[in-house]
Amino acid sequence: MVLILGGFGAGKRAYVQSLGYSDADMSADVRSDAPVLVGLEEIVRNDPESAKTLLPRLLEKKFVLCCEVGSGVIPMDAADRAYREATGRLCCALAKEATAVVRVVAGIPVAIKGELPCM
Amino acid sequence: MMILLIGGSGCGKSTYAESLCEKNPLPRWYLAAMQPYGPEADARIKRHRALRQDKGFTTIERYTDYASLVLPARGTALLECIANLTANEMFAADGAVSDPVDRVLNGVDALNRQCEFLVVVTNDVGSDGISYGASTAAYIEALGRINAALAARADTVLELVAGIPILLKGELPE
Repeated sequence: MVLILGGFGAGKRAYVQSLGYSDADMSADVRSDAPVLVGLEEIVRNDPESAKTLLPRLLEKKFVLCCEVGSGVIPMDAADRAYREATGRLCCALAKEATAVVRVVAGIPVAIKGELPCM
Repeated sequence: MMILLIGGSGCGKSTYAESLCEKNPLPRWYLAAMQPYGPEADARIKRHRALRQDKGFTTIERYTDYASLVLPARGTALLECIANLTANEMFAADGAVSDPVDRVLNGVDALNRQCEFLVVVTNDVGSDGISYGASTAAYIEALGRINAALAARADTVLELVAGIPILLKGELPE
């Protein structure tokens, strides 16, 4: 599994497409058999408490795409805080197991663990 | 030796900071700037305490004025975190607001003089693109200036992303 991080609109999907994957290979549903899971942060937002239980299923994916959501002012709303923190901690756990971690900045993939996957 | 760690919420800053300190000599001081202001903070403090267990830290809770703190002995220290300290220095309990920059920087300088190895943890709060009210905007700007000034002082600056240290200045500590 390769973890792909980056801000909203940073170019995470376009990067995966450049590796030969189409929209049909991507799903926002963790239960789907698609090799690419997109929008992990939204899945965590819906249920931050059970984020950790997703780990085994996520490790079966080829790519997991997640927005970085932990920067910025600490939100006033407790649910917003819980979601940010749960997303961050799940990404720490995923990064530990991932063969590579890629951070996309302004469309540029930067390998922060392992090697950049190529086509 | 001073190391600055920067990162967002839940990025693994504390765990990494503690692992750096563990490799450095006793005594180890954990300097806690977070004020216990409710059940959520209590839970966070409890979690941090559990993480630090058996790592040889002595905890000193101090919310402001690190410039006048005298460490009982020279050694290793972990200051966590500058975002809390800046808020504490800026927003007084009576509602008064003042410029925190000098007080925070003087505090870190004083600590650095008393330590062989100092790890300072801070947060990036300026990247969410949201417009805030005047006092929050002033806080974001003050913390940004403090982070830049601390990075200039630090031997090594690392950004933590999903638990992975990314070198921004200096050398990765062994």
